[in-house]
Amino acid sequence: MTIRDVGAGKTGLDFSRFKTDSSKTSSEFLHVLKTDLTRSGWFALTSGGGAVALKGACRNSSNQITVDCAVQQEGMGTVLNRSYNSGAKDVRRLAHQVADSIVKAVTGNRGMASAKLVMVGTQSGKKELYVADSDGQGLIQLTQDKSVSVAPKWGPANQIVYTSYLKGYPDVYLVDVSSGGRDRISSYAGLNTGADISPDGRDVVLILSKDGNPELYVKNLRTGKLVRVTNTPGAAEASPSWGPDGNQIVYVSDSSGRPNLYITSRQGARGKRITISGTESVSPDWGPDNRIVYSSRVEGRYQIYLIDPAGDRKRPVLISPGDGADYEDPSWAPDGRHVACTRTVNHKAQVYILDTGGDEPIALTNYRGDWYSPSWSP
Amino acid sequence: MNMGVCFKVVLVCLVSSIALTGCKRPKKGGPSGPGPDGRVTAVNPIGFDEYRNDTGPGGMGVRSDDGELLNTDLEVIYFAYDSSQVTEGERYKADSVAGILQNSPGARLEIEGHCDEQGSREYNLTLGESRALAVREYLIDSGIAGDRIQTKSYGEENPAVFGHDDESHRLNRRAGFLVFN
Repeated sequence: MTIRDVGAGKTGLDFSRFKTDSSKTSSEFLHVLKTDLTRSGWFALTSGGGAVALKGACRNSSNQITVDCAVQQEGMGTVLNRSYNSGAKDVRRLAHQVADSIVKAVTGNRGMASAKLVMVGTQSGKKELYVADSDGQGLIQLTQDKSVSVAPKWGPANQIVYTSYLKGYPDVYLVDVSSGGRDRISSYAGLNTGADISPDGRDVVLILSKDGNPELYVKNLRTGKLVRVTNTPGAAEASPSWGPDGNQIVYVSDSSGRPNLYITSRQGARGKRITISGTESVSPDWGPDNRIVYSSRVEGRYQIYLIDPAGDRKRPVLISPGDGADYEDPSWAPDGRHVACTRTVNHKAQVYILDTGGDEPIALTNYRGDWYSPSWSP
Repeated sequence: MNMGVCFKVVLVCLVSSIALTGCKRPKKGGPSGPGPDGRVTAVNPIGFDEYRNDTGPGGMGVRSDDGELLNTDLEVIYFAYDSSQVTEGERYKADSVAGILQNSPGARLEIEGHCDEQGSREYNLTLGESRALAVREYLIDSGIAGDRIQTKSYGEENPAVFGHDDESHRLNRRAGFLVFN
């Protein structure tokens, strides 16, 4: 998709022919569905008129929800015609699923409503990992390390990797979200951090300093085999992110004197700089449709930029608002349109969702404490 | 808060955390916590045996986390913004540490690298490590064996002071020392 100016047109979506029964659960379903479709950025909801009409009903019978859903699009006919079921307690999840189906049927794009985010929260007094739904609801505390958690990244197979000082040293751990099990996967001498799982789920890229300098390594998750990728005695590496091709890696290096973004391959090709020398560019995330978001310090404030490594590299696009806050740690949503990030104002951090399509940022969290370093699930 | 008090508090906290991790081979089913559905899960650390022979050039060898903390009041080294260079004015502090290690042949050193709150947390983990490594390099050049010196970066996660002004930032850009018997 292309990036449009603020206020670009949205598709009218008429809800007037979608019915709910009198149950609270059905009301909740409708509320979550409407919120998700609005947040998707593609639609302006109406109660009459619009290129798209949603027909059907949501009913609760003995705590079982049934949703019948038909979507008609002007000039295209019926683009979606389905029934959905779930237990009443899963009504929010069902609404997210239906919202994503509608986005896909009408626009051809993936939605983000069903996805989740992992992030660091300080609510407990320690820096622990939490998981939330795409609308900030359903918050679950994932770790009880009572230590310091840093830079969680959600991998392709329901795994989260992160750095923790649980054992007194910066080590990398892998959490299986389904089972709740956890393994320590990197605890060499020195620094273990920068973990990001490859798109095929087989490898993890790491920053290790065990050989005398922070460098990039790739470790096979099954065999444990470690391959060194960078060899830069005069420069230090950080913050790697896999490209969607599972071969290229974008990362931060200070070899030019300031932190800048470079791209290399897992075989260890010479790093190619993609940001302008003299700026301070950090925390890249390489998204599903091949564009990279990162944070850069401009006139004393951190802003989020977008760059297309296959396009014109000298023209990064600003996607965070110039509202005086610091925007850092961007993470692509699976819809390839929205970007979660940390927004800090008056030294307090909350997670926000930016829209590369031009809509205003939305707060994901509004909880006590600091919330930062978000990473979307697939 | 004066640096001496702050440093001693940090030492006490580190002694406690080291006492908890101890020098035993990590056993399966170590520290645990509830999983996302509330079940308690166990951490399964990879055994250290796997890394015993894995040292590259300039490498630090296998991590050691045993030993008794010696009560030495070692001055913290400060760094310029985004820099890991040990400036001339700070070198006497490293010389002091070298002297202590030379006089205690069995002692080992842990250098902790820290950053101020500016910049990304991930980059600051690397920068903190670069600072610790720079001090380590200096000590190796002074004749201390590399396998006596380990580094630990805290990035921006463990500030000495909690202000947001330039002076607070300056006091957080530091490398601290722990000497173990």
